[in-house]
Parts: sequence; C-alpha cells; structure tokens
Amino acid sequence: MGSLTFEGLGKSYGEVEVVRDISLTIAEGEFVSLLGPSGCGKTTILRMVAGLVEPSRGRILIGRDDVTNLPPNKRGLGLVFQSYALFPHMTVFENVAFGLRRRKVAGTELDKRVREALGMVRLAAFGERYPRQLSGGQQQRVAIARALAPHPRVLLFDEPLSNLDAQLRDEMQIELKRLQRNLGITTLFVTHDQGEALSLSDRVGVMAKGVMQQFAAPEEIYHRPATGFVASFIGKPNRLAGSVAMREGSGGRLAVGGVAIPAARIEQPAGAQVDVVIRQEAVAIRSGAAQSDEIAGEIVLRSFSGARVQYVVRLAEGVEIVAETASHGPEASLTAGAPVALAIDPASVFAMPPEGATA
Amino acid sequence: MMSRRQGLLLIAPLLLVLTGFFLVPVLMLLPTSFGVYEPGAGLVNGAWSLKNYSQIVTDDYYREVIWRTLGLGFSVTLLCLLLGYPLAYLIARGPERWRVPLILLVIFPMLLNLVVRSFGWIALLANRGLINNLLMQLGVIGAPVKLLFNFIGLFIGLTHIYLPFMVLMLVAAIRNVPRDVESAAATLGSSRAHVFMAVTLPLSASGILAGSILVFVLTISALVTPRMLGGPTYQVMATLIYDEYMQLLDWPSGSALSFALTFMAVAIIWLSSRLTKRWAGMA
Repeated sequence: MGSLTFEGLGKSYGEVEVVRDISLTIAEGEFVSLLGPSGCGKTTILRMVAGLVEPSRGRILIGRDDVTNLPPNKRGLGLVFQSYALFPHMTVFENVAFGLRRRKVAGTELDKRVREALGMVRLAAFGERYPRQLSGGQQQRVAIARALAPHPRVLLFDEPLSNLDAQLRDEMQIELKRLQRNLGITTLFVTHDQGEALSLSDRVGVMAKGVMQQFAAPEEIYHRPATGFVASFIGKPNRLAGSVAMREGSGGRLAVGGVAIPAARIEQPAGAQVDVVIRQEAVAIRSGAAQSDEIAGEIVLRSFSGARVQYVVRLAEGVEIVAETASHGPEASLTAGAPVALAIDPASVFAMPPEGATA
Repeated sequence: MMSRRQGLLLIAPLLLVLTGFFLVPVLMLLPTSFGVYEPGAGLVNGAWSLKNYSQIVTDDYYREVIWRTLGLGFSVTLLCLLLGYPLAYLIARGPERWRVPLILLVIFPMLLNLVVRSFGWIALLANRGLINNLLMQLGVIGAPVKLLFNFIGLFIGLTHIYLPFMVLMLVAAIRNVPRDVESAAATLGSSRAHVFMAVTLPLSASGILAGSILVFVLTISALVTPRMLGGPTYQVMATLIYDEYMQLLDWPSGSALSFALTFMAVAIIWLSSRLTKRWAGMA
C-alpha cells in the first residue's frame, strides 16, 4: 500500500504537450478518478504511473519511493485495461497466478491466493476455463482478480468498464467500489464517463488538453466547477451566449437575448460578454403563467427517456433551453405550445468566458 | 451468417480448377505408382507391384536422399526462423518509418528470377568463387572449402530464397499480438525477456507455424535451386523424382516417390501443428 504523488509531471511528444505540469497527491487508500474527453491526457498519466510511458518532466512517487525511472515490472502496481488484456493462451487460473509466480509465490500459497482473488470477483468456479470461453464482464472480472492477486501498492484502471453494456457497467461499478473499499488499495481510475467518476471516487480530477482543470471531491466538482470547461463538461449543461447585465454582491443578473437570469456567482464585470451555463437538472418546470421570480416560456419539444422527461423550452426569440423533470411527476406530459414557468436555482447558473476564449 | 450454399458458390471456381487440374491428375498417378516399369519397354500392361514403394524404404540410395531432403527441410526452416524472427520483430515493432523500406528490402530478392538468384550463389560459393578467393587471399584457408554441390550449398541457397516467406508470415503474426497484453505482463512483474518468452512468442505461434510449414514444404519440394547448387549428383527428392520421370522415364518409381514425399510432408505438418497448439495453448 502507499500514497501516489505527482510532482510537476509532464509529457510532450515533439512539440505537442499532452500532459502539462500535474502535481497532486492521492492519499493511501483513496479512490481518485481522472475524468476528461479523449485526448485530454488522462490515459497518458496512467501509463506514466504504470511505467509504460516515460515522463518528459517531473516525478512520480509511490509512498516515499521515487519510481519515475523504474521499469513497469519493478513498480508493484496492478493495471486493468479497457481491452481486458488477458493472456489468451492461459487458463483463468494461470492468468491470475501470473503476477504471483513472478513474485516467487508457489505451491499451496499460490493456490490459496489465486482462489482468494477469484473469489473476490465471484469467479471461483472458472479457474479451468480459457478467457475466450467467458463473457466480456467475466473477462474484466478476471482482469481485476489478476491485478489484485499480487497485492499491488496502487491499482490503476484504464476505462475498465467502457467495453461493457450499460446494465453490466452499473453492476460492475458497484462491485468495484465495494472491492476497493474493502481492500483499501490506493486507486487511480481513468474514464470519460462522468457518472462513473462521480459515483466511484473520493476525489475527481477533471482534465482538458493536458491541463488539470479541477481536482476536488465529486460534490465540489458538480456544484462548484472551477472553470468553464468543468461546468460545461459535468452534468447536462445548457450553454447560451449572453452578457452580464448587473453585478450585485458576489452574484448578479445575466442577460440572454433579453431574458434576465439571476446567478449567485459572477466573476466578470457588468457588460462583459459571457457564456451562460445552466444545468438541465437545475431548471424546474411548471405549467402555467410565470410568477415574479420565474421565467416564462413555451414548450417546443418533449423527449421521454425513461425516468426523466426533457423539454426544449423557448424563452424568447432565439433563446431555447432544455429543462427536465421526473417522468412520473405532474409536469411529465406537457405538449408543444403549452405555456410554462421556469424556476432556475441561481447557484446552478455559471457565467463563463465565451466559447473559444481560453478558460 | 452465410448459408452453406453461398459459401460453396464462393469457392466453386477454385474447387473446379483444383479438382480438374490437380486432384484428378494426382489420383491418376496413384495406379501408375503401383505399375511395373521395364527398362526400354516402358509400362508393363496389367502388372502390379509394391516394389516402387518398398525400394524407397529398403534401397540405401533412396533412403539417403529422403533423409537428406528432410534434414534440409528442417535445417532451412530452423535457420529461416532464427534469422527471420528478429527481423520480423523489428519490422512489426520498430519505428513506423522503417516499416515500408524494410518490407521492400525483404521482398526485393523475390523480384529476381530464381535461376539468376541461384546462379548468384554459384558465383559466390564455387571453388574459385568470391568467398573462397577472398578467404584464401586473406590467408584464412589454404585450399578452397567445398561450399557447392553439397549440403552447405543447398542449405545457404534455400535459406536465402525462402527467408522472405518466413519474415512476411511472422510480421503479420507479431503485429497481431496485442500490446496491452504485453504491457499487462510487464506490470505484473515480467522483465522484457520474460514478456517475450511468456507472451509474445506463444501469441505469435500461429505465424511461426504457418511460416515454418510454408518454408518446409517449399524446401522439400524445391527443384531449380537444388539442381543448380547440388549439381547432377547431389540429389534431393524433387530432383530425383524429376530424373525418374524425365531422364529414366520410370514413371511408376517417380510416382511412388512423389506420393512418399507428399505423405511425409502431410504427416510432419500434422504433427507440428499439434505440438505448436499444445505449446501455445491453442488446443
């Protein structure tokens, strides 16, 4: 076991800087996700930790050991790949035993620990099978058992659930979280799925273009995004072009095409051009005429997606936002053209530098 | 899924050609191989004999040629594998920009006519050839080393000629080994050498097998190169069969030798496939 520390970690390929100056510490036993769109550098960081990619700058420490220049086989890590990467020519037992044999574990001890690892992922009866005889979910569980068996100091996951179908993914998420909590292994989890990152992690690092945008607890990331990128990447945001109409304390009012929207936090001065980011789930919708603190609108489109219903609502000419509500709620079957009133929580409204400008 | 009829239609043209121009003539040779040949008179009508086959096993000369052919097949295959694997690994895993030039380099000899290539080896390996002259001038040897019309000559020549086949098969197989699986072995504590032995090599077994079968079959059935580098006296199965047919006109004996060669090749391919599959866990 051990903590995992990055000190000024960076990677460049020629002129292209794919990871820029990352410094952070993952505490012992902590579960940290790196979240971001593809190409944001999150996988490069993971591969640098594993020793598969050489950093251009900075240091990586596991506990107090500087592992920056160690080859992957000397780092004592467990890595789970998106592609499972099982050894196709070995049985499930031999796959899980691989890392143990490398550590000179043999005989009954080997047998015991392989069984223990397979038991943790509920595959105890599958030791004699070959990977190709298992389903995708089972293969990924073997991969997890294989990574766990040698008792690694740090566990690394590279989009481990991306190849699984939705239902299995949810099951595996819960299973993963339970395993990690029980074993208390320091874990770095790379994903592009915000739901995965938010629900699994103690802390989440949101990345864009090789830069760490925010590194904080999931609640913090969701409710207090540090940059425009985080606000527009997390949740299901509406992004509208507007300006700051009025400043008042730390907040004020934003204007989007003649519609005034109160916001609790505004950093730009009055008159500045901004992008207004509003979470769909922060927009409460109600049929009927608008009261004083509500915004009047008209339904343009209704879209049913199971538990939730999304409405496209026109606030004024050329200003449309998406609002959602529970599909069994009272406002679940409004039709196009119906007048509605929207209440927007000012704390969920963010003013960001306009799209294209640097965050 | 494709229906059986559609599948059959797709292979029908090839199937027809192979049946009409390969399978039928080969089967027509089968009775011939049991025929009796009278020197000067030709095939004896209505006479049957197992002598053509029994002489292959009992006759010292035939036995020697068979062992020589098989030995050559194994040696050439092994050397091609040893020389080819590092090269194939470099092509498959080396810098991207080297790939095309290296593959062209591998294929380039195949653009030259086989006779020309074999003749090139004669010029190099002959008693007064390039290699012997050089070694004698450097004082390494006093008299020419015999490199032609013997095993060494055929071994060198055939290895050179069939190496490209091995390399191309291996490149395809090595490129198919997933990098993630090798990385997984490394993170689990495998050194680079152990990753290669435990993962890369077994996972490229299909290519090793395919390349080896190809080179082995091509080697034991090669005619032009053994004839040129072995001369009229240092015979292998293919040149022997050729002589039985074309020089001695002993078709029954030639046919029996052909079937014996085919049978041995099939048996060896079958055995090596089974061994490889067991080794690489593909069974």
